[in-house]
Amino acid sequence: MAFHEGFVSQLIGKPVTVDGLRIGTVADFLVGETDQPFPSVDGIVVKAARERRLAPIETVAEIADDGTIVLTTTPKEPAPPDDRALYLVSDFLDKQIVDVDGRRVVRINDIELARAGGKLRVVAADVGVAGLLRRLGFARLGARLTPRLLRRVPRAIIAWSSVAPIRETNPSHVRLSVTHNKLARLHPAELAEIVGDLSAHEAAAMVRQLDDELAADTLEHLDPDTQKTLIEELGTERAADIIEEMDADDAADLLSELSEEQRRELLAEMNQYTAGELRELVKYAEDTAGGLMTTDYTWIYPHRTAEATIRKIREIAPTSEFIYYLYVVDRDDRLLGVLTLRDLLLAPPEATIEQIMKTDLVTVSPATPAKDVAATIVRYDLLAVPVVADDGRMLGIVTVDDAIDAILPPDIARELPRITARTRRRLGEVVPS
Amino acid sequence: MNAAQARPRTRSLLRSLLIFLSVVGPGIITANADNDVGGITTYSLAGAQFGYELLWLLIPITIALIVTQEMCARMGAITGKGLADLIRENFGVKVTFWVLLAFVLGDLGNTATEFAGVASAAPIFHSYLHVLPGWLFTDLLVALVAAGVFYTVIRGTYKIVERIFFVFCTIYLSYVASAVIVHPDWHKVVVQTLFPHFTPSKAYVLMAIAVIGTTISPWMQFYIQAAVVDKGIRADEYPYSRTDVVVGSIFTDVIAFFIIVSCAATIYVHNLHAAHPLQIQTAGDVASALQPLAGKFASLLFALGLLNAAIFTASILPLSTAYYVCEAFGFERGIDHRFREAPVFYGLYAALIAIGAGVVILPNSPLLAIIFYSQVANGVLLPVVLVLMLLLINDRRLMGTWTNGRLFNAIAWVTVVVVGALTVVSTVQQFVPQLGS
Repeated sequence: MAFHEGFVSQLIGKPVTVDGLRIGTVADFLVGETDQPFPSVDGIVVKAARERRLAPIETVAEIADDGTIVLTTTPKEPAPPDDRALYLVSDFLDKQIVDVDGRRVVRINDIELARAGGKLRVVAADVGVAGLLRRLGFARLGARLTPRLLRRVPRAIIAWSSVAPIRETNPSHVRLSVTHNKLARLHPAELAEIVGDLSAHEAAAMVRQLDDELAADTLEHLDPDTQKTLIEELGTERAADIIEEMDADDAADLLSELSEEQRRELLAEMNQYTAGELRELVKYAEDTAGGLMTTDYTWIYPHRTAEATIRKIREIAPTSEFIYYLYVVDRDDRLLGVLTLRDLLLAPPEATIEQIMKTDLVTVSPATPAKDVAATIVRYDLLAVPVVADDGRMLGIVTVDDAIDAILPPDIARELPRITARTRRRLGEVVPS
Repeated sequence: MNAAQARPRTRSLLRSLLIFLSVVGPGIITANADNDVGGITTYSLAGAQFGYELLWLLIPITIALIVTQEMCARMGAITGKGLADLIRENFGVKVTFWVLLAFVLGDLGNTATEFAGVASAAPIFHSYLHVLPGWLFTDLLVALVAAGVFYTVIRGTYKIVERIFFVFCTIYLSYVASAVIVHPDWHKVVVQTLFPHFTPSKAYVLMAIAVIGTTISPWMQFYIQAAVVDKGIRADEYPYSRTDVVVGSIFTDVIAFFIIVSCAATIYVHNLHAAHPLQIQTAGDVASALQPLAGKFASLLFALGLLNAAIFTASILPLSTAYYVCEAFGFERGIDHRFREAPVFYGLYAALIAIGAGVVILPNSPLLAIIFYSQVANGVLLPVVLVLMLLLINDRRLMGTWTNGRLFNAIAWVTVVVVGALTVVSTVQQFVPQLGS
């Protein structure tokens, strides 16, 4: 085997011979070990008289310098259909992928193969102009131009370990586990930014590959319009799973953007408890305490000891976002007092919560305007303020970041992390609607 | 001209207003991309030179327009991908490269045409303003529009501009009503629309082809598909989208219909009896010709309409061209990227505007050559794109159950063959004599 490294484009269409006789041409490459950073080439698809036959890699005797592939035996087996195997040309070449390290969407112009560890492996995707020119048949021009003209173009070659397909390309029986999902290496904010570079269909295809929690975090970083389109694309069942994982206030905001019917369908798919909570939240106007609040707060009972309470918190904290304030409620959800995590930690282990909690409470009602909520939080230097109904029942909390978000002038809020909101909006403006 | 000016001014204000709207409207009312400077010019010329004789053509054109646009809209909705995208993924790099090369050349010419529209409207404004020498005024206006378009789009304030255009457009919706006021011969209009009339003269055939060519252009196919994808329209929503396409196509051609009727009822009728027929070659000429026929205001507004259409399309065309090219080749794109991040995108966008406006401004610039080669590129491209569209839409792997039906395919193939053949004929015929001169 003379072949040590080269590009797929240099092999496609090249003759395949057995005993010096030409039996067909190279059409595609079967990929194996898809859970490896650099998957192996397990076979060559030979196009012979309108048929696609699979030549296992073991039958390849030589890949000559001119690209001719010499086989030891004539391939008999037909190549497996596209939905049951992974192919380089039909699944990757010319397709869009996410460059996980570069955090961007690019298109594969060519694919580099190399011999490593005794196997022919897929090592890199060429997304640059040189790859394009090579495909167009101007390889020499490309080689000459690239170093000079295009030196500044960043990352024309992407290591295969950071190539993530936008669509699920893995045949169903080799579905990748979460740890092997390269997209999971990205921060939700970066994923959200990539969503902005994709069409609604593609964005949904990408989000479908994420687990519910990461998908939920990604969704939280998107603007309402994009969230809405994405939810519609994902379908009720999956969308409901993802919304369940979102922060309650973000989920409620999203639900309130949807139509009555969509909202009903989504809520019906969720577990009863979450759905009930969200139904409550959706009722409030967006610019009031009720609209800003989340029901995801930590409540504790007054008669427990500090020690028992700490144990309890250790249990629930991993699923709870905000644990710095602990709200003391009775069996009817009436708010009795509050204490900070610090208060709790410094209290004697046997002291009951009733003894150490603060009872001079600062609260707002669900109808309090956002501006006043923010003012209250700032005046008392709080991280969150509880929202309490007229009958004293605790409904939720408004955290300081949500309160600030709500009162920032729109033009500043827009510059904040939700870059994708801007991306989307501008694209919508310049590409026709 | 003299004869017209000598006519007594007995028209009421309202009547003049309605008449100016009737003849002025086209560019503005169809602030959609289909009726750009080229469209306005062609429809006006068709009416001015052939009266009502080409009206019948609008019916088959509408069908062809619906068929082609519907296919692209459907592909957008089902695959969620742009046309350039689909071509790249299904026909490979080489086909994509040549198609997009022709596409860029064609759009370069289109962009130049938009700026030429600005230039041809400029003398009308100059005749009111009397500032600067005429040529300098024209050049400055073109440069200003180019810079304005570039700046506005890059700054992302395009939405505001679009709204202004849109408000401006609605004024001209009364255009249809006012076409009535110019007293066209309705009997003739109806007869000529319903019963095909064919004059076997070269000029007539060329005009017919030009009307078809301006209505169905390659870039519209890319554009509508991108619009559908960008809106995130899904398969289950598609029937609404189809209605939208049908209504839009009919609307576009209804406007074209009334443009032709209005120009026929004024300029064509005038020329029939005039000792000195009006020589009409550009949309700017139409504006000048309207001055004696429909009043100064009408002329000024026609020029405004032209300017509006030019700016509108000049804002959209270079940007979407750069976008589709970068999409197909995987370069970073979109105006929220910095220049450093998306050099190809911005480079292409800036080059299209700079060259488009440059050839209009610079003396002895190859404007005609650019428009010629872009027409050739468009002419070659359209049949190719239509065939690729048909191959894609009948691909079950892509479209599932949404492929064309048998009848639809038959209509589509006939459309493709006819439109394709006509474009090739026009490309060869229209420009060969000009090259010789």
